[in-house]
Order: sequence, then structure tokens, then C-alpha cells
Amino acid sequence: MTAPILVVGEVQAGHLTSPTLECITVGQHLAAGQAPVIGFVAGSSARSVADEFSHVGVARVVVVTDATLDTALVAATAHAVAAAAERVGADTVLVGGTTFGRELVGRLAIRWNASAASSVTEVRKEGDALHVRRPIFGGRATETRRLDGPRFVLALRPHTFPVPPDAAVPSNIEEVPLPSLPPGLLVARRTALEPTSEGVGPSLGDASIVVSGGRGVRTAENFHLVEELAAALGAAVGASRAVTDAGWRPSSFQVGQTGRSVSPQLYIAVGISGAIQHLVGMLSSRVIVAINSDASAPIFRVADYGIVGDLFQILPALTAEIRRVRGL
Amino acid sequence: MEIVVCLKPVPEAETRLRAATDGRALDSEGVKFVLAGYDESALEQALLLKESIAGSRVHAVSYGPGPRTEEVLRAAIALGADLATWVEAPPGTALDPIAAARALAAAITSVPHDLILCGKQAGDDEAGLVPPALGELLSLPEFSSVVDLRWDAGTSRFRFLRSTEEGGERWESSGPCVMGLQQAWNDPRTAKLPNILRSRKATIARRPLEPVPAGPRSESERFELPAPRTGARMIEYKTPAEAAQQLVRLLREEAKVFP
Ligand SMILES: Cc1cc2nc3c(=O)[nH]c(=O)nc-3n(C[C@H](O)[C@H](O)[C@H](O)COP(=O)(O)OP(=O)(O)OC[C@H]3O[C@@H](n4cnc5c(N)ncnc54)[C@H](O)[C@@H]3O)c2cc1C
Repeated sequence: MTAPILVVGEVQAGHLTSPTLECITVGQHLAAGQAPVIGFVAGSSARSVADEFSHVGVARVVVVTDATLDTALVAATAHAVAAAAERVGADTVLVGGTTFGRELVGRLAIRWNASAASSVTEVRKEGDALHVRRPIFGGRATETRRLDGPRFVLALRPHTFPVPPDAAVPSNIEEVPLPSLPPGLLVARRTALEPTSEGVGPSLGDASIVVSGGRGVRTAENFHLVEELAAALGAAVGASRAVTDAGWRPSSFQVGQTGRSVSPQLYIAVGISGAIQHLVGMLSSRVIVAINSDASAPIFRVADYGIVGDLFQILPALTAEIRRVRGL
Repeated sequence: MEIVVCLKPVPEAETRLRAATDGRALDSEGVKFVLAGYDESALEQALLLKESIAGSRVHAVSYGPGPRTEEVLRAAIALGADLATWVEAPPGTALDPIAAARALAAAITSVPHDLILCGKQAGDDEAGLVPPALGELLSLPEFSSVVDLRWDAGTSRFRFLRSTEEGGERWESSGPCVMGLQQAWNDPRTAKLPNILRSRKATIARRPLEPVPAGPRSESERFELPAPRTGARMIEYKTPAEAAQQLVRLLREEAKVFP
């Protein structure tokens, strides 16, 4: 396989996201110097963002600057990506496994007739097939799937791969038009964007650190202890269902079987017992810390580090220590 | 309004996972299958919409092998679905999300559909690929991670909120779309006994799986359980400040999770 690899850039706050950069690392690894990694970026700010690819060794970038793509209508982007992949003769498309990335992969699998996988944490090329590893069952198991070629689309699990080192190359930007879209795709319209619940800090699905509080926090008012620790760490805030059921925090905070699945680098569970329905939403986190007054709480069986103690004493001390080492 | 809900049976959350003897997939011997968590949200949402719009019907569609697939469809009928279609997968079929989307799309194309609801992802393979693939197959827009959905009768539009990495996005649609729901319904309805009894006799339309066009495929070749966690390294301390210092040191120096 020596066909180019296309990395689809996702843009946030005017920059390529770190899951996009992770895809470049994986693309370079798969291409093994035999084929180029080519960037793709869409939307009205695509041109200015396209340059960022050239800072990490990706010279050629296909851009579609059509404003139709600004409203995040993934269907339109999928059509543009399929056309770009065709144009550059790519056999593999990589995208960060965010909400956008997963939707893109599902659509491209059909549109571009490729075999597809999401939440990929390892990729190996063998002959004409790709072998990918991915967590399943909420991180309680891992599967390896064989994807048959000749075309592949993968959404890579965010926070899994390193970002590429800086390597400036001259940039070669190619602007292409947006292919015409079936009218049925254009019935929906975005009417408003609301920043993450508090307007501060990263959102749950995206954060590399998550601090979650459970029933042990006791009241809605006490939840600020969890939030202060999160703020010191630059982390997102999560909660167990005991908390969302009690209305201490909205259900968008809930981690677990009927809430969100997260897989940050670090997950800190505070006053959470570790029921299986909670665990399936966070077990694939890289490092798990549990703080609980009950030494026999099941959460300690899945944690890497544990503190048995009263969260009302431990959390303020921990927040202070983190502020101290981070110079806040 | 004709609301289609796509449902998938998955092993219940409490299942003790183990690999089948060939090591390629979950050993499903003796495993109890239930409606996937987010699919339960999708069904609940469909039933709420039906109740708010006169003359609506909910049509549950599922692709998979018997008897588990038929059972989740009967459960959906007991909860209030009006129609059910089972696209039968031969026993032992390895389920590939894209193949599943093709099978579901073929069934949906042949029935009326003003809205198609799915769970955002299933709790077993957690791929999340069926809703967007369905969108592409049916040439409809698709929205994953929908957390709130209403029908606005005044303007004849769906109004919905999705939760993404960037925050909440509000959308409206004047035509059919596919949605992947991700709602924390902590109290979905439960079926009443007479409805459960009636659901046992309800008719389920059976559709054989159409031969899929040759195309790229994926297949599970290995199913692994993580090495059992050895349990947490417990931090010994005399004061909370000491506990905090030790934890932060371990996180920085040993776990290397932050600088
Ligand atoms: C179908 C279904 C779906 C579900 N989905 C979810 C889901 O998505 N997410 C989810 O989280 N749950 C879910 N649950 C609920 C789950 O089973 C548990 O009930 C829930 O996770 C418990 O929350 P908790 O750990 O906060 O509370 P508890 O289990 O009550 O634990 C509280 C913990 O706090 C500790 N504690 C108390 N005081 C202190 C203190 N001062 N300092 C330190 N520690 C203290 C206690 O020792 C205890 O371990 C679901 C259940 C069902 C049946």
C-alpha cells in the first residue's frame, strides 16, 4: 500500500484540534515514508487553518471554503471528503474520534465505500488489510478487528496517540469546490450554539482529565469542592447518577451506562462507590484515582491510586496542592 | 407522524464477559440480552413524541439473530411500539455495524418514515456508526448525541439539542432526519403486565436479510479482557495535606498524567 493518507482536520477556536494532530502521527506511521500524508479542512476559515498542517510536516492540504460547511452539517463534509480522497488517490482517511469524527466515518463508509472503525487505539497494516484495536463494553474488553481494503476510514480515539513534533514544510494548498448535495440533506439548520454548560473548562467527552463527584458529596452546594479541584486541574466535571438523579447537577454531567462514556488520561472519582453502570462509562480511562471513605468500596478495585478518607478533608488539600505545583 | 426506532439487543451490563473458545468474540452462551441503553432512550423519546402528536405511530426495527432480536422487539411492543420489523441475521453472523446499517436501511426504505431514532451507540461494540451510515444510505441528515427533541406543531419542525465537545448545538429540521440519542433517561417507562402478555402474540414482520452488495467488510478477530486490575495502590498518610502531596507526586512522576 503506497497510496496517500488523508487526515481530516477538525477546527476548534480557529485551530486544528489535538485529535487531528494525533491523526497526523498515525498517518505518518502508516505511510512509513512510502506515501504522503495529505490534510483536508473545510469551512469558511479553512484557508487560514490549512497552514497549521505545514507546521507538523504535512505540505499538501485540500481545502473547501464553502460556508455551507460551517454549520457542521457532517453530511456535507462527508461528501467533500469523499471527493478529496478521490482526487488525491488516498486509500485511507483518518479523523479524530470526536462526535464529528464518528459521524464522518459512518457516512464515509457508505459514501466512499470503505471499511470503517471508530474509537481506534492501535492500527497495524498487514498486506491489504488493517488490523485495529478498540475498547468495547465500556472498556471492559478490547477487540481487534480486521478491516478489508482497499479503502479504510478510521476515527481514532482522542488522547491516545502523541501529537507530531514540529516540522515546518512549505505549504501547498489546493482549493476545491463543494460537490452538489442531495436536497434532502439540507432540511436541517443550526439555530444556536451554546458553550459548554458552565461556559468554562473543557466538556466531558473532550477532556483529558475528568473529576467526577458522587453521592458522597452529599448536597448540591458541596459540589463546588469537586468543581474547584477540576478547575485547578483544567479538567471537566462529571457526576454519578446519584448526583444527577438528585438534581444536584444536570444529566449532561452523568458518566456511565445511561450517561456519557469518557476515556481521559486521568479520571478522579470522588465519593463514588463504583457501581458497574458507572464503571462502564469510565473504565477505559488511562489512570483512575478514587477518593472514598469506605475502604471496601468497589471503585478501589478498578482504581490505580486510592485514598481512603473523608472527601471534605481530602479535596481542599488536593486542590491546594495542585494549585501549588501548577503555580496557580 | 411515522417514527422509526432502531433497536439492538446487547448483553446486559452485569454480564461477566469472557471470550468464546475461538477467542474472536464474546462467549454469548447463557448471556442475557436486553435493549441497549441508548436505544432505550430512543424508544422512550419515540413514545413521548407519539403521545404528543395525534395519529402517530412508532415502528421498531431491529437487525440480528433470533431469539434475542425478536425478544427486544416484543419488549418494545409491550412498551408501546405499534409495529415491529425483524431483519433476520442468520445465527452466528458476526455483526458489522456498516452491514447492520445496510440491513436496517433496506427495511426502513420500504416503510413510511418521518423520523428515524437510534441510540447514539450500542453498549457492546460502541461503534456509533449505524446512525450516520443510515443517514448516508437514506440520503438524510444525521445528528448524533441528541439530548432533547421536540416537535413544534406551529412551524412543523423538529427542534432538538445535541451535546458535542463544543457545547450544546440547537437545530431545527423541516424534514426527516436520523438521530442518535444520548439522553440520560433515568426513569424510562416500564411495561404493564397486560401489555407484556399482548406483546407475546403481536405480529412481527420478518424480513430475510437481502444479499449485501460485495463491499468492504470488517470482522472481529480477537476478543480480549484486560489483565485484571490488581487493585489500587493505597496512599498511606497522616494528614490530608500529606495524602494530597503523595498523590500529586505519584501522578506526576509515576503515572505521568500531568507535568
Ligand atoms: C439501568 C441503570 C442504569 C444506570 N446508569 C448509571 C449511569 O449512567 N451512571 C451512574 O453513575 N450510575 C448509573 N446507575 C446507578 C448505579 O447503579 C449506582 O446507583 C450509582 O452509580 C451510585 O452513585 P454513587 O456511587 O454516587 O452513590 P453510592 O453508591 O451511594 O456511593 C456513594 C459513595 O460515597 C462514599 N462516601 C460517602 N461519604 C463520603 C465522604 N465524606 N468522603 C468520601 N467518600 C464518601 C461512600 O462510601 C460510597 O462509596 C444505573 C443504574 C441502573 C439500574
